[in-house]
Amino acid sequence: MSDRVKIFLLLLPALSFIVLLFFGGLAIGLLRSFNYMPLIGLLEPNLEAYASIFTSSEFLRSFLLTFHIAFTSTVISSVLAIGAALLLRRQFLGRAVVNFLFQLNLTVPHLVGAIGILYLFSQSGTFARLAAEFGMIARPRDFPALVFDPYAIGIILQYVWKEIPFIGVIVLANMQSLGEDYESVARSLGATRWQAFRYVLLPLIFPGVLSASVIVFAFTFGAYEIPAILGANYPAALPVLAYRKYTDVDLAARPEAMAMAIVIALLSAIMIYVYVRYTRRRIRS
Amino acid sequence: MTQVSLRDLTKVYQGEFEPSLDRLSLEIDSGELAALLGPSGCGKTTTMKMIAGLLEPTSGDVQFDGRSILHEKPEKRGVVMVFQNYLLFPYMSVAENIGFGLKMRKVGKLETSRRVGEMLDLVKLPDLGNRRPSELSGGQQQRVALARALIVEPDVLLLDEPLSNLDAHLRFEMRDLIRGLQQELGITTIFVTHDQEEAVVLADKVALILDGRLKQYAGAEEFYNRPVDEATARFFGGQNFVAGSSDGSRFESALGSLDLPEGAASGKGKLTFRPENVRIGDSASATNRMTASLAEKLFMGTQTRLKLRIGGELIDAIANPNEVAEFSKGDEIEISLPPSSLWVLAN
Repeated sequence: MSDRVKIFLLLLPALSFIVLLFFGGLAIGLLRSFNYMPLIGLLEPNLEAYASIFTSSEFLRSFLLTFHIAFTSTVISSVLAIGAALLLRRQFLGRAVVNFLFQLNLTVPHLVGAIGILYLFSQSGTFARLAAEFGMIARPRDFPALVFDPYAIGIILQYVWKEIPFIGVIVLANMQSLGEDYESVARSLGATRWQAFRYVLLPLIFPGVLSASVIVFAFTFGAYEIPAILGANYPAALPVLAYRKYTDVDLAARPEAMAMAIVIALLSAIMIYVYVRYTRRRIRS
Repeated sequence: MTQVSLRDLTKVYQGEFEPSLDRLSLEIDSGELAALLGPSGCGKTTTMKMIAGLLEPTSGDVQFDGRSILHEKPEKRGVVMVFQNYLLFPYMSVAENIGFGLKMRKVGKLETSRRVGEMLDLVKLPDLGNRRPSELSGGQQQRVALARALIVEPDVLLLDEPLSNLDAHLRFEMRDLIRGLQQELGITTIFVTHDQEEAVVLADKVALILDGRLKQYAGAEEFYNRPVDEATARFFGGQNFVAGSSDGSRFESALGSLDLPEGAASGKGKLTFRPENVRIGDSASATNRMTASLAEKLFMGTQTRLKLRIGGELIDAIANPNEVAEFSKGDEIEISLPPSSLWVLAN
């Protein structure tokens, strides 16, 4: 048996899972989004579902909200993660403990974190009660709306909390493998601390930051459970809206749900494509 | 033109007890090219980083022209350090790398590109400005690193192992380039190396550091002819150490009674002399003559190494291959040790 055949056979179990579940699901979704459902007699594929969602103001508002959630969470977590990595790469007393605490919530499920946010930040939550207790506000429900709010602050808080260590660990490993010599060179050539960061360290860690933040963006754009728990009813995040359409009593809403899911998948695919192209160009140069 | 002095410079790294550098004091004159020489891990690079402000000393002082610079930030010291592995910024072109220091100083684009051009000429890479560092050979990267340092017109230039990553033929080219530029620009330059040959060919003065301490700071020849102790002599390839005693003019040992040069130390100690200074052949007028038996002979192309037995001592000698062609193992050879080549290391 040639090596090539052996490698193919060894990869087959894993590959069949990926191909069947991922591409299979994607293919069925795609067909349904084109209104192709032989079970209920729909045999003529068309673009009605897409036309319907792209002209619906609900979809557009959801799309913008979801983009806002994904973009804002990604930018805030990336910036804070870089800051945390800059601190954690230094030697200081208790570094191991801080490092452990920093990475602790990597193991906490998103859902558990969301419940925590709910308990702490909602208008009947701990912070609202404390603020009322100390006379900062008259009643707990005067507390600013941070959960179920139109700006999705609760959702973004949850994602930032969860993604800082994720991006941070990647960036920290990146910084540690680079060492500090490049910045030393820059300092010795006349760069201030800030310039050494801006013109030397940042460009060097940028590919790592980018890869981590693309993953975070694609995840936060497509995730359902957090906006379902912490989001406002209207406008709802895209995955929530898609799920509502999917479970609608009207079967005709299903192609729209699938069309939304395809839009989410397409956006993730575009992100990955841009990322791969960009990093390839960088690596080549 | 800047005179650099190190005063009792000491570094103990966090979590360690032994100092990596122990009270190093050195004066490097303005415009001089000095080498810090020592085996790896002896504190050389640590010293450089402390001069450049990239590492804080545990105690001691670094002074430029008599003024302490320890409180100055690295970018304000007028010191540029060139690292051993060059560390060119991989995402910038060669020209951008060289112009980096000027960009940090907010020098205009036109002025920068003019000076980058000058630097590229100076290091003899006039056409490579648009290349990426990864497209350059090791020697070319080294020159770019040098140009990137020189463009900011530093008062003091620090070079970390400037020749050790280069092939033999490039080393001579680079040595000539560094020496030439250093002489032309008159920059006080300090470089570190673990290779005594590199130190000897490049430096005006050499500081030998062993186990974190300064052994000797002198011109290169002194290390060969007047080493301060056996470890120093051995570092420079000295192999002959004969125990005995000196009265200041003669040395009594297993080799017999030998004439010493003026100013030799007296008391119990060791006599040392370089293998290449052992004279082979019968010369009636020579002083310190003796007869040796040839214990070993190794032809090495341009020279022949000999081991000679005299009165129970085994000494090393290096000879011209033609002079010793007729001798073979076990033969008796007349040799002499000119007094000027002898040096006494007092105990």
